[in-house]
Amino acid sequence: MAKSIIDGLFGKSPISPLQKHMTSVHSCISELKGFMVAIHQQDWGKAEEIRSAIGRKEGEADILKKKLRLSLPSTFMMPFSRRDLLDLLLIQDSIANITKDVSGLMINRKMTLPNEIFDDVIELTDVCIKTSATALKAVNELDELLETAFGNRERKVVNSIIEDVNDLESKSDKIQHEIRTKLFPLEKDLPPVDVMFYYRAVEWLGELADAAQKVGSRLEVLLAK
Amino acid sequence: MEIIANYGSVLLILAIVFGLFMAWGVGANDVANAMGTSVGSGAITIKQAIIIAVIFEFAGAVLAGGEVTATIRKGILDATLFTEAPHLLVYGMLASLLAAGFWLLIASSLGWPVSTTHSIVGAIVGFGAVGVGADAVAWGKVGKIAMSWIVSPILAGSIAFMLFRSLQNLIIDTSKPFENAKKYVPFYMFLVGFVISLVTIFKGLKHVGLSFDTQTSYLLAVGFGLLVAAIGTVTIRRIHLDPNENKDFHFTSMEKVFGVLMIITAAAMAFAHGSNDVANAIGPLAAIYSVIDSGGLIGSKSSLPVGILLVGGGGIVLGLITYGHKVIATVGTGITQLTPSRGFAATLAAAATVVIASGTGLPVSTTQVLVGAVLGVGLARGMAALDLRMINKIFLSWLITLPAGAMMSVLFFFAFKGAFGA
Repeated sequence: MAKSIIDGLFGKSPISPLQKHMTSVHSCISELKGFMVAIHQQDWGKAEEIRSAIGRKEGEADILKKKLRLSLPSTFMMPFSRRDLLDLLLIQDSIANITKDVSGLMINRKMTLPNEIFDDVIELTDVCIKTSATALKAVNELDELLETAFGNRERKVVNSIIEDVNDLESKSDKIQHEIRTKLFPLEKDLPPVDVMFYYRAVEWLGELADAAQKVGSRLEVLLAK
Repeated sequence: MEIIANYGSVLLILAIVFGLFMAWGVGANDVANAMGTSVGSGAITIKQAIIIAVIFEFAGAVLAGGEVTATIRKGILDATLFTEAPHLLVYGMLASLLAAGFWLLIASSLGWPVSTTHSIVGAIVGFGAVGVGADAVAWGKVGKIAMSWIVSPILAGSIAFMLFRSLQNLIIDTSKPFENAKKYVPFYMFLVGFVISLVTIFKGLKHVGLSFDTQTSYLLAVGFGLLVAAIGTVTIRRIHLDPNENKDFHFTSMEKVFGVLMIITAAAMAFAHGSNDVANAIGPLAAIYSVIDSGGLIGSKSSLPVGILLVGGGGIVLGLITYGHKVIATVGTGITQLTPSRGFAATLAAAATVVIASGTGLPVSTTQVLVGAVLGVGLARGMAALDLRMINKIFLSWLITLPAGAMMSVLFFFAFKGAFGA
C-alpha cells in the first residue's frame, strides 16, 4: 500500500513525548525529600532503596529523551524551532541528572547533615521540588498553547506560571544563603572535608532549582518565536 | 474518416472502458487523500466519509466537472490540426487514458504518490508533441496549467493561513471558545455553501444545460449558503458544554462544534474533488465521443453530453465502493494530530481553491492543493509537526510523472496506429 502524501505530511507531535519526559523527571526529583529524611535518620537501607529508585527514574527519562531526539528529523516544520525544543529537553533532563548526582554523593559519603541546618535543607529540597512541579505545569500547558496556535491569551497564562517558577527559584536562593550563613560558624567544629561537601551538596540543590527555572525561561523563548 | 466509420463503435467502447477504469482509479485512490483531513481530524467516521464522498463526488463531477473536462478534451491540443486525420485524435486520447492508467498502477504498486492530473496532462501533451507534432500542442494553455500547479497550493496555503488566523482570533484564543464557536461557526458554514455554489452556478451548470443571469446566480448562492448555515446551526444547538470533558484540555467542547462544521467542509471537499478530477478520466472520453459521434468532424461545437459526466461520476463512486474505503481508512487513521478546527481551515481552503480551479477549467492536483493548505495552517503555528520531506516528494513526482506519462502514451499511440491503421 502506497503511503499517501497527506498521510506522510503529518509527523508525530513532539509535545506529548516532551511532557512525558518532564513528568518522569519530576517524579525523579520528587523522591529527594524522602531521601533526605532517610539520610538524616541514618536509615541507610531505605536511603539506598530511594537512591536506586532515583537512578531508575533518571534512566527512564534518559530513554524518553533519546526516543524524542530520534523522532525529530530536521525536515519537520513545527510551531517552534527544533533547536529550542531540543534545548528544553536537555535542560529538563539535567534536573534528573543533578538529582542523581546529589543522592549519589550523599549516600557514598554517608553524609549526615548537622542538625542546625537540617530543617533548612529540607525546606530547600521542598522548594526545589515545587519549582520543578511548577515548571512541569508550564510544560503541560503546551498542548493548550498549540491548540490556540500560541495565541496571546494562552501565552499570558503560561507566562504567569513561568513567573511563579522564577519566584520559587529566588526563594531557593534565599534559603541557600541562609544555610551557608548558618554553616559558616559551625565550620571550625566539623571535619573540613565534610564541610566542603556540605557546601557542595547545598550548591547542587540550588542548581536543581536553577535548572527548573531554566526550563521555564527556555519555554518562554520557545513561545516567542 | 474510413477508420472512424469502420471501427467507430469498437473505439468508443474501448474509450468507455478505459475512461471508466481511470475514473475507478480516481475513486479508489485519490478520494482517500481528499477525505484524509476530514477523517483524520476525527470529526467524521470512515463510514460517514464514504457516504459523503459517494454523494458529493458524484454531484461535483456532474454539476461542476464540465469546465475542466472541456480543457482536457479540447484545450490542451490544437484540434484544427486533426481535421484531416480525426482518427489520430481518437488514438491519442485512447493512448493517453491507457498510459495514465498504467502509470498510476505502476506508481502506486511502487509506493510513489503520483497525481492523476499530471499523468493525464503529461500523456496528452506527449502524444500530441511526439505523435503528431509540436504544433499540435496548445503550449500557451499547457503553460497556464503548469503555472496553476504551482499557484494552486500557494493560494490554498494563503487562504488556510488567513482562515485559521481568523478562527484563532474570533474563537480559539478567547475567554469563551465554546460560546464563540457557536456564535461564529454558522458564518463559516454560510461561506462554505456560498463559495461552492457560486462557482458551480457560474461555471458548472451550463454544461448540464442550466443557466441563470448574474443576479439570480448570486441570489441562489446566498440562498444556498443560508440553507447550509441554517442546517448547521440547528445541529450545533444540540451540542452542550460539558465541563467534565474540558478539565484536562479546555477545548474539547469547542472542537465538537468544529466537528459539525467539518462534515459540511468534507462534503465541499468531495464536491470540489469530483468537479476537478473526474475530467482526468472523462475528458479524453468526451473528445473521442465527439469525434466518433460526428462521424469524424473535429471542432464541432457540440456540447458535452451529460451521459459522459455520469460515466465519470459513476466510475468514481464504483472505485470508492470497491476499493476506496480501504484507502480512506489507511490515510485517515494515520493522521492523529489534526483537530477539527485545523482540519476545517485546511479543507475549506483546499476545497475553495479546487472549485475555483474547476470553474476556470484548470486541472489541478487536489492532493497537492491540500498539502499547501495544511502547510498554511502550519505557518500560522497551528500544527505540531509537518514533515517537509513531502514537498520534495511532490516535486520528484512531477519530474517523473510528466515524462513517464508522455512516453507511455506515445508508445500506445503508435500501437493503436499499427492496430487500426494510420
